[in-house]
Amino acid sequence: MRSMRIVALAAATGLVLAACGGGDDETGGDGGSGGEPVELTFQTLAWQTAAVEANEAIVDAWNEANPDIQVELLQGDWNNVHDQLMTSFEGGTAPDVFHYESTVLQDFGDRGNVLDLSEYLSDEIRDDIREGAWDTATFGDAVYGVPFLQESQVVFANRTLLEAAGVTLPTVDDPWTWDEFADVAAQLTTEGQFGAVIPLNAPANRILNLARNFGGDYFTDPAGEAQAVFDAAEQEVPRRIHEMLYTDRSASPDGIGMSSADALPGFFAGQYAMLPGAIWLRQQLVEQAPDGFDWVTLPALEGDSSAQGAVSQTLSVSASTEHPEEAVQFIEFFLNAENQVQLAAGDWLLPTSQEAAQSPELNDPATGWDVATATADDLEMAPFQQVKGFEEWKSRIANPAFQEYFSDQISLEELGTKLVDEGNAVLERYQR
Amino acid sequence: MSATVTAPPATPRPQQPRKRRSFLGLDRDGLMLAVPALIPVVLFSVYPLLRGIYLGFTDAQAGANAQTTFTGFENYRNLLDDSYFWDSFRIGLIWAFSVTILQFFASLGLALLLNQKLRLRWLARTLALVPWAMPPVVIGIMWRLVYHPNAGILNDVLLDLRIIDENVDWLSSFSVALPAVIVVGVWAGMPQTTVVLLAGLQSVPKELHEAAAMDGANVWQRFRSVTWPAIKPVVVAMTTLDFIWNFNSFSLVYVLTQGGPGGETRLPLLFAYEEAFRYGNYGYAAALGNAMVVVIAVFVVFYLRQRVREANAR
Amino acid sequence: MNRSTPVGTTLKYVALAAYLVFLAFPLFWLISTSLKTPQELALIDPTWIPNDITFDNFRAAFDEQPIVRSMLNTLLVAGVSCVVTVVLSIPAAYVMARYRSVLSRMTLVWVLLSQIFPFILVIIPLFLLLRDLGLYDTYLGLIAVYVVWSMPFALWMLRSYVETIPIELEEAAAMDGATKVRTLRSVIAPLLAPGVVAAGLFAFVSAWNEFLFALVLIRDPELQTLSLTLVKFIGAEGVARLGPLAAASLVATIPSLIFFAVMQRRLTGGLLGGAVKS
Repeated sequence: MRSMRIVALAAATGLVLAACGGGDDETGGDGGSGGEPVELTFQTLAWQTAAVEANEAIVDAWNEANPDIQVELLQGDWNNVHDQLMTSFEGGTAPDVFHYESTVLQDFGDRGNVLDLSEYLSDEIRDDIREGAWDTATFGDAVYGVPFLQESQVVFANRTLLEAAGVTLPTVDDPWTWDEFADVAAQLTTEGQFGAVIPLNAPANRILNLARNFGGDYFTDPAGEAQAVFDAAEQEVPRRIHEMLYTDRSASPDGIGMSSADALPGFFAGQYAMLPGAIWLRQQLVEQAPDGFDWVTLPALEGDSSAQGAVSQTLSVSASTEHPEEAVQFIEFFLNAENQVQLAAGDWLLPTSQEAAQSPELNDPATGWDVATATADDLEMAPFQQVKGFEEWKSRIANPAFQEYFSDQISLEELGTKLVDEGNAVLERYQR
Repeated sequence: MSATVTAPPATPRPQQPRKRRSFLGLDRDGLMLAVPALIPVVLFSVYPLLRGIYLGFTDAQAGANAQTTFTGFENYRNLLDDSYFWDSFRIGLIWAFSVTILQFFASLGLALLLNQKLRLRWLARTLALVPWAMPPVVIGIMWRLVYHPNAGILNDVLLDLRIIDENVDWLSSFSVALPAVIVVGVWAGMPQTTVVLLAGLQSVPKELHEAAAMDGANVWQRFRSVTWPAIKPVVVAMTTLDFIWNFNSFSLVYVLTQGGPGGETRLPLLFAYEEAFRYGNYGYAAALGNAMVVVIAVFVVFYLRQRVREANAR
Repeated sequence: MNRSTPVGTTLKYVALAAYLVFLAFPLFWLISTSLKTPQELALIDPTWIPNDITFDNFRAAFDEQPIVRSMLNTLLVAGVSCVVTVVLSIPAAYVMARYRSVLSRMTLVWVLLSQIFPFILVIIPLFLLLRDLGLYDTYLGLIAVYVVWSMPFALWMLRSYVETIPIELEEAAAMDGATKVRTLRSVIAPLLAPGVVAAGLFAFVSAWNEFLFALVLIRDPELQTLSLTLVKFIGAEGVARLGPLAAASLVATIPSLIFFAVMQRRLTGGLLGGAVKS
């Protein structure tokens, strides 16, 4: 608790310093007393009750402490934020500070829609947030957002079924390899029960993140003239999943069209013993699991390493803001360690603040927080997010091609041809 | 680009006596009646529309510092080479024709039923409009639950009725995904079409029916000789619009399948949407919009001509 | 038409029932969902009638979002849009149907073009225009958009309804020395009633449900319309807070249904039949 205060104090000092130095073309942000207060708009995408409440509480606390810089909280939504931001960038009506994710920042940055924060950020926040997380929002020298929430992949299991089959649960120090996972899944597959269900609706992001387990990059030279590749390392994860579906028949074919939330009814009913998913799924498990259902969070699988690609949710400042310094001051307050604990707990995701990750609340084994938080060290910046044209590659080529492969419509070679040959044709458009 | 469209479907109209003074073919009364509607239309629709069409001939990009230059037909050359564009057009046509035709026949049947003297007709008429009243944001989510592979009510009901003997993965199986979303499309569009046809049926004079019945015509003959000719203009107008709307729809399908499995349900507008809002290629997206205008206009003009010819032949 | 056999009548009711089950079952499902606990929503065998009825979803929906307020907002926007659309469209549709003029043809082309050209590609130019006119974050801007959005349909349909009205009726009125405007008001408009209701319903419902434009045009939370409020229960990756969403959606659906129930009387033949005879 004491350390929290120190951080808050340090952050506050940082704010003052930031407010004094820096501003080369300050337009109206006088930050001092007297005059009209600066008004900022902040659009959040929080939607779970706890996360919304955390947002409201933090903004209220800020407004109380900073009568000169008043923040208005707006609530956006994930499914339409992209269109909304694109339109409001064109019209100059974008919120001063907005919540979104690191995958879009490259495009927004290239188009001059987001502010490069590198010269505004204080050392405190730079030190507190993990280096790997900063990487996700850093493009060349520019920092287009402050990363604050990350998801990692783990495996959820029906403890009752696993114990009944005499399976020894893996630990954070000794996680299962993909082979062990496949063996256990096969062992757990019986009449009317599959060892696992692997939700594969729009699978590209997940597959690419997990490909880091085997050193799969999917692209050469992501930050430059990126080319798609599909070699042995990239093939590992899709091939293993395909084997579980069609060779071992230990993964339920239901998963092909499912999102991970779709898989829950079957998981609760004991149709699937294990469910690989992202850590936020714990929220759904806590809320929806029937009484007496005993689930457990198993550590992420290990390939050649346990590295996972990751993206971040971010707070960015729109380039058209009149008050960049105040906006960054607000972000730094919003994302201080203490607040990140609340935000991470509200959304069941990893905080990027190293100090927040230490908090007892985010290490509680009862809801799998210990396992989730342990994955933080394995998260690397997902290289694909630097690829220009990745979004189009993913939506036009990769997702449909993976769906065809997992539905057993095309072979692994054909999958490779699509991802690479057709994929490179898409990427080429972006490199002219 | 829009040259194809500017051939308007000429409908036979009663001859008007020549007016002394006229502007754009309207006399003073006509102008007084038309102008109030035209002001907002020109300002808020014609202008943005022309602007959108123009963008299709440029390389407009999203971005604060993007320079836009006129590129003529370059976008269209690229479109011709774009196999995703052709695929989505093919799927779009299948979708639009299936939904429009099914929707029309289903709605006509319903409208005929609702036009009769029935007990609790007001309730039936209200319930028939449920798909229209439901907020679109929840429709996609509801239907996803209906089609859910193992916890969905559809599989549940079909299994109970022994119509199927194992769960069907409606939205991700390559063979049934498109038909499954077509059913939702028909469902969602039926109220509009039904209301419009019902309103059309109201304009059929009862006396004609009674006279035909007197002559000993059966139900089908009465429909053919009395009802159908009377509602024909409304039917043509509505099916045309339905076709256009269906070709232009995507959000419902997107929520259901995201265009999957393997691109089987990627409608053309999804393509335009992604180009514009995901990849920021406004110019290319607008070019796609113009291409859609040309293709749909061909169908629409052909269809309207055909109907007019039929009307003239009578 | 009314002299059907008992078998025919039974068949009619069966067919109607089948239609209504198909069209209206989601309403039942919505009601059922809104009364379920999160646990029950995740059952593998979905229950039609909740085992364990709860009103928590309604409580959550009303506590967390200003549903009543946004409903009133939407009612205002949709009501005004509906009235303005209809009032502007009737005379214009009449002109389109009865005058063989350049303007009628241009309007026809516009009607089709505006429906064919993808709306999403018009959003940005339209948005910039409204911003320049100072209509950003105002209902006036939203209503203007909804009116021109619904007008092609209204004009297109009303024009076809006008065509179904025998020209002789007008000629008779003209003989009596009535002006065009008077003829329209006293002869045509009453005959158009069912078509006007159809167009009005369309304008109302489109405005009631519209989402994307409201999203980009309205920022002030006080001004939010219903569809903007509903998406707050939906999150990323297809996850939604199903219970509260169903509860809020149900609340949002009821006013439209009541509106339909009231308006459907106007679709009946009595009004028209009377008008033709008189």
